[in-house]
Parts: sequence; structure tokens; C-alpha cells
Amino acid sequence: MATGIIEARMEQHGQFPLLEVQQVTRRFSGLVAVNQVSFTVAQGDIFGLIGPNGAGKTTLFNVITGLIPPSSGQLIYQNQRITKLQPHRIAAKGIARTFQNLRLFGNLSVLENVAIARHTHRRSGLVQEILRTPRAIAEERQTHLKALELLAWVGLAEKAEQTARNLSYGDQRRLEIARALAVEPRLLLLDEPAAGMNPNEKAALSQLIRQLRDAFNLTIVLIEHHVPLVMGLCNQIAVLDFGQLIAIGQPEVVRQDPAVIAAYLGKE
Amino acid sequence: MQASFLFNHGHHSIFTAILNGLSIGSVYAIFALGYTLVFSILGIINFAHGAIFTLGAYFSYTLTGGAFGFNGLLANASLPIHLPFLFALVLGSILAGIASVIVERLAFRPLRKRGADPLLTLVSSLGAAVVIVNVIQYLVGSEIYTFPSDIYGRLPASINFGTVERPIAIRTVQIVIFSVSALIVSILTYFINFTRFGKALQAVSEDAITASLLGINTEKFITFTFFLSGFLAGLAGTLVGSSVSIAGPYFGIAFGLKGLGVIVLGGLGNIPGAVLGGLVIGLAEAFVPADYSGYKEAIAFALLFMMLLVRPQGLLGRSVIQKV
Amino acid sequence: MTMTAFLETYGFLIVSMLLGALLGLSVYLPLMAGQLSLASPGFYALGGYIAAILSTQVFPVTEGSFPLLELLLEMLLAAIAAAVLAIALGIPVLRLRGIYLAIATIAFVEILRVLALNLEITGGAVGIFGIPQPFQSQIGYLWIVVPLLGLSMVFLYRLESMHVGRVLRAIREDELAADTMGINPTHYKLLSFVLGAVLAGVVGAISAHFLNTWNARQGTFDASIVYLAFVLSGGSRTFVGPVVGGIVLTALPEILRGMAGISGLPIWLAQFLQDGRLIIFGLLIVMSTVFLPPRGNYTRTVTTMAMAKAAARQRETRETREGSD
Repeated sequence: MATGIIEARMEQHGQFPLLEVQQVTRRFSGLVAVNQVSFTVAQGDIFGLIGPNGAGKTTLFNVITGLIPPSSGQLIYQNQRITKLQPHRIAAKGIARTFQNLRLFGNLSVLENVAIARHTHRRSGLVQEILRTPRAIAEERQTHLKALELLAWVGLAEKAEQTARNLSYGDQRRLEIARALAVEPRLLLLDEPAAGMNPNEKAALSQLIRQLRDAFNLTIVLIEHHVPLVMGLCNQIAVLDFGQLIAIGQPEVVRQDPAVIAAYLGKE
Repeated sequence: MQASFLFNHGHHSIFTAILNGLSIGSVYAIFALGYTLVFSILGIINFAHGAIFTLGAYFSYTLTGGAFGFNGLLANASLPIHLPFLFALVLGSILAGIASVIVERLAFRPLRKRGADPLLTLVSSLGAAVVIVNVIQYLVGSEIYTFPSDIYGRLPASINFGTVERPIAIRTVQIVIFSVSALIVSILTYFINFTRFGKALQAVSEDAITASLLGINTEKFITFTFFLSGFLAGLAGTLVGSSVSIAGPYFGIAFGLKGLGVIVLGGLGNIPGAVLGGLVIGLAEAFVPADYSGYKEAIAFALLFMMLLVRPQGLLGRSVIQKV
Repeated sequence: MTMTAFLETYGFLIVSMLLGALLGLSVYLPLMAGQLSLASPGFYALGGYIAAILSTQVFPVTEGSFPLLELLLEMLLAAIAAAVLAIALGIPVLRLRGIYLAIATIAFVEILRVLALNLEITGGAVGIFGIPQPFQSQIGYLWIVVPLLGLSMVFLYRLESMHVGRVLRAIREDELAADTMGINPTHYKLLSFVLGAVLAGVVGAISAHFLNTWNARQGTFDASIVYLAFVLSGGSRTFVGPVVGGIVLTALPEILRGMAGISGLPIWLAQFLQDGRLIIFGLLIVMSTVFLPPRGNYTRTVTTMAMAKAAARQRETRETREGSD
């Protein structure tokens, strides 16, 4: 059923698949956190991944970004298999993410946090840096400018010199987004970007995500609990429950899916 | 090669090697138990453990009425009492336990209260070791001290396990060491599995935060663990000192490092693992051919190294799920 | 006292202090990437043996001072040997974290020590004597040590202010997050480990000449903790900490000994300062860790200790099992 919907949609929009999750399973000592999950994210999508607590959403992100290998299944990104690659190789291919429980480099400045993620785009190495070659210096300046530009996007430019861990919770979430953008991804994975934000901030974030998608030509997959935000923002939604994909499709279709209603009403 | 080695030495020599290995291995085990107890609840390596080991040996030596040499503040002094060896062993180890509690108060607790980097604890515990070693040196110099030969009363120096024609003589001291260590390990096993303290210990080493939520008084508990750890180090120090000699204030440092090998081999923080690790390393050392005896000291470290590369959680440790 | 006389009297101490600073830096380098390695004394010993063997057994005997060029060659060879050994050691052990890495490096140092004690080429327990002197007096070593320390400090200053330094700190803060940002942590951990090893090896080569003799007591486990104390007492946030720590802590026992000579001190105190100076040294190590103000939070990153770890492990096991959302 799920595949049918995707094919229908692809025909409808004529879009290319950017990420294909094929039959991915991840077990943890007997427990199945992700069970035979398949879906396709098309270029330009804002793709929502929702589901009750413990549904396996973050595990799926961890599998996609190479932090944990899948027990079985394949991941195809831009028609290349990325299943067994290390996280930094996957990042270099253009997949960046944020973390649900915030994994900033807390003792580094806001600017440095973003500058670090420029890593894959830098050419000069240790020796050039130590010798302070013109290229290394120019590149360092470019890195700073790019980082500041991205900080401006998320509204943190004037806080660039602050230590990351001193930022407010909402600012830290936005910094994580800026840091991920610095990788220059084509696919951006956001893990509960609105957690801990008030309704105004949530609305602003929703706006920001759309703007970023358009400005940076991104494809976005986001995990989010706040259903109105997901429904309003995403053009595709996949619902996980106990590791299984129970529904996928456009928001209005998913909203009325009996399995989804059962999963949510059963919990909340 | 193994076979020819066995053949050349004959079976009585294998028997001797096994007994020697068990004897020294059991001392490693009780020493390492003290190490691992502290690690299991605090997650830190107490580098002062080797110094406490030394201290215990000196305490017991003093209590048996042993005199000091010509150097240091206490030159030529001795206690007017001559405790029997077993009493001195117990009392000396209790004193070592108290010393360990003092080290905990001065070098560990302030850092823990402050939530400091555990790395600092490593350094402060080594600072404590430097203090202990040099206090010993300041007081009694760096001479080698040997326990009086009559510490076991009327027991013979060695016991023949073979026949008159083919004697397999085992030094009595080895048998005493093995018996005492075996006794201590049995008592501890009982203690850990069947007492309130032991259950609490298991709970804390499983999950310190939950344990403190369950109302286990962590501070009192840590104090007692350090006492027990120091007591075991003191026992080990006295036993080794009585078997060979007390080879100066630095005597325990090398032993302390070897103890790391023991606890890593068995699994860091794993209590049965420490016993197994001790016996494995003791036996491995006992089987080093005489021609290569210079390399005996490296065995523990070579085993440690290989274990860390192959199975960092040790022989008996559970595997650690990768952090994401 | 004239400047020259002062330098002559305290030559040994001054050079030792600067060597202490360099050794502090050799521990600091891997620590920049969050790697608690205690392997420096092993590389230090290796470098020393290379210099000792080359200068006493390989290079032709020369009239007068030992040629400086040969010393530089020894330093280069020590650096290469340390780098090769560090790569061979680092690739397997840098997978280990926190205390496990520390213990593995202790084992490495101990294995090297036992080898040095037993091999013929290292002179066994006796070691190697009569290592030739490149300078007339010990203060002459400043010609080598000052430029080396200067270069190392410039190197570290530039490293810290540019991208690679930032990457190392990011790995120290959160290795996995750095990995997902496109940084290969293994590569940079190995880089900082090798740089630290090279520095220790070079210092060893100089020290062998400086001390005139080299044996298995050089570069043992206690040394590694003393170097670590250099770093931690001075502060591990920038390279200045280990330099200051190395200088001060190396000087300390000698300063105490000097204080014992001050006239008018009660005899017992003078004697204690003289003979018990290592007690004071130990106490100062303890006190500097206990009383120094905390310098930022590296608890989470540098060493993963079991208490935090056990709790985290359980939480994470639970989380990953539950998908942690």
C-alpha cells in the first residue's frame, strides 16, 4: 500500500528520489527498534517522521547517518549505497543532521561550532595552517564569513562569540541547525527541532525551515512530536509505531488513517 | 615447544609451577579485588592502591616487632611488642584500610564533591601515592626488610608433596598465602552475594544514580569500600612481603601496575573477574621458562594489552553498547 | 652572583625545567583531542635509547665535543622512530576510550621498560653510560632546548588558532557529533597522538645526552603521571598550561631543597625540606588538583568514567532500544 502511494506521488510531481530506505531493520539485543521499514524521500520534500515514544524514529536517523549500522536492509542516497559507510563519509556525501538531545561542542564558541562543520569543504591541511600560507588564511576567513552568514540565517549572528553551552535552549536548537547547514547538505535531518520551544518560536521555526529549504535547495526529513507543526509543514508524512511503518502519505491522508488514529489515541 | 618444555622439566616441576602460580595469583586476586571494588562504584582507578599495599607490609612488619635500619627518622626503632604473624597481618591490614580511607577523604572526596574531572582524580591519587612512598622513605629509609624467619612458628620451611625419591617441595609460605587468599576470596564472595552491603555494592556498580535514588547512603558506602580496598591491599602487601621481602618504599608501585593488568583481564569493575585475572596472570608468570625470567614482568602487561584490543570489557565483563 | 655564574650553577635545573615543559606538551597534544594517553614516557625512552646507542656505538668517536649535526640527526631519527611506533600503536589503541586508553598506554610503557631491561643493545639493567656531550657545560643545552620549545609553542599556538585545532577540540567535546559533521575522528586522534609521541621522542634524544646516561629508569610510569600533573596543574585548555606546569613542577623539588639552605630555619624544618621534599611535592600535586578552580567542564568528554558511564550506558541502552524519542 505504502509503495503505491509513493509511486503515485512521484508520477504526480515527476520528482527524483533522493533517499531510499529499503527494508531497514535494527535490533538491540533481541528488541526490534526498527522493523522492515521502507520509504523514499524525494528531492525537495519536507518529510515528517512521526510516531509515539519509542517508535524507532531516532534510531532510524542514527542508522541513516551511519552512527549505528542496520541489522539488515539498505540505504540508497542519490542512487549510491551508503549502508555501511562511516558517519563522516555519509556527511561528506551531503547528509547532515541535528540531535534530539543537543550535541553541540559546548565549550566552543557559537561561531566555532559552525566553522567546524565546514570541515569537508576545506582544502588546506595541517602543514599549510601551521605555515600560515595565504591560502590557509584566506580559507579561514571564508570559513568565518560562511559561518556568520549561516548564523544570520538562524538569528544568532550577534551571539557568534558566546560559548555555545551558555545559549538558551531555543538558541541551541537553532545553532544545531546552522551547524548542520555548514556541511552544505542536500539532505537535512532534523530531530525534534521544535522541542522545548514556545508556540511563537515554533511558528517561527516552521517558517525558517521552509525558507531554508528554498534558499539552500534542501530536502528535509524531520522528527517532530507537535502534530500541528508537522501537518502544516510537511508534504509527506511517515508514521512509525513500535518500529514499524504504519502509514505514509500526504498529511491529510495520514491524518485520517485508522491505524494512525489508533496508535495515537491509544497513547495520548 | 610447550611439550618439550614440559618434558624437560618433568611433571613435578609442573606441579610446583602450578602451586606457585596459584599462590602468587591468589595474592594478585585479593590485591586486584581492592582495585576493582573502588572502580566498580566510582569508576576511577586509585593509583594509591599500590602505595597502600606497601604501607600494609610495613605496618605488619612493625607489628611483628621488626626493627628498622640505619636510615630515616625512625632508624633502629622497633615496637616493644611482638605480635604473632597472623595478628600482625590482620591488624596491619586494618591500618592499611584506615590509611586508604584517609586517602579517600583527602584526595578523592573533595574532587567528587566538586564534580571535578575524573582525570584529576587519577593525578591526585598518584599524588597521594607519592606522599605515602616518600613518607615511608623519610621515616624508615629505603632498605630492604625481611620478615623474621619464624613467623609461622613451628611449621617447617617447606612441605614435601612428592615422595622421598622424587621430592616436590613447596615453601610453606606459598601454602599459607594461598590458604589465606582463598579464605579471603570465599569470605568476600559470601559478603558480596549475601549481605546488605554486597547487594548495595552490586546495585551501585550497576547504576550509581538509581542506587542513590533508592536510598543507599553513598558516602558511608564509599568510605567502607575504600576501607575494604585498603584492607585487601594491606593483606596482599604483607603476604608478598613475608614471602620474599619488603623491597623498599617503591615495592608496591610495580605491583600496583600489574594489578591493572589483572583487573583489565578479568573485566574492569568485575569482582569475579579480578579473581580469575589474578589466577591467570599468576599461572602465566609461573610458567615462564627460567631463561626468559627477565620478561616475566611484562606478561601481565602483554595480556592486558591484548585483552584491551580483542575484548576491552575483559574475560567476564559484559559488552558495552556503543554510545549514540 | 653574575649572570654567567647563575647560569652555570642552575644550568641543569633550567634545562630540566624547559624539558619538563616540552614533556608537558607531549601529553597535552593527544589531550587536545580528548585522548588521555600516558604513552609519552615510552616514546621518551625510545628517543633516548636511539640517541644513546647511535652516539656511543654507531657514530665514530670524535675529538672534543660531540658534533651538533649528529645530535640533530639523532633527534630526527628519534622523531621518525617515535612516529612509526606511534602509528603502529595508535591505530589499535585509539579505538579505546577514557581510562581504557590510559591503561593500554601504561601497558605499552611497561612493556618497553621490560624490553629495555632485558635486551643487550639497551645495556640491560645497567643501561648505557658515557653518552658524549655536545656542549662544554649543561647550560649549553639551551641552544637546542630553547629553539625547540619556541618552535613547539609557535606550532601549538598556530594549531590552536586554526581549523585543525578547532577540529581537535570538537573531537574532545563530542566525538560522535564531530563524526556526523564530516570529520574523521580516527585520523585526527592519530595525528595528535603521533605529534605528542614525536615531541617526546625528540626530548628523549636530547635528554640522553643531557643526563649523560640512559637506562630503564628513564621514562617509567610515574613519569607519565608527573607529565600529566604538568598539564593539569597548568591547565589543559591551552598550550600555555603545560608549559608553565612543566617548568614550575620540575623546579619545585629543587626550590624546596634550596629553601632548606636558608639560614635561620629550625633544623628539623631544614631537614624536612631537604629529605622530605618529595613528600611536599606529592602533597602539592594532591592540593593542586583538589584546590585549583575547575577549568571548564571536561568531565563529559576527556574520560568516560564508569559511574557516569554505567548510568549513561543504561540510559542509552534504554533509549536506543526505545528509539529514544
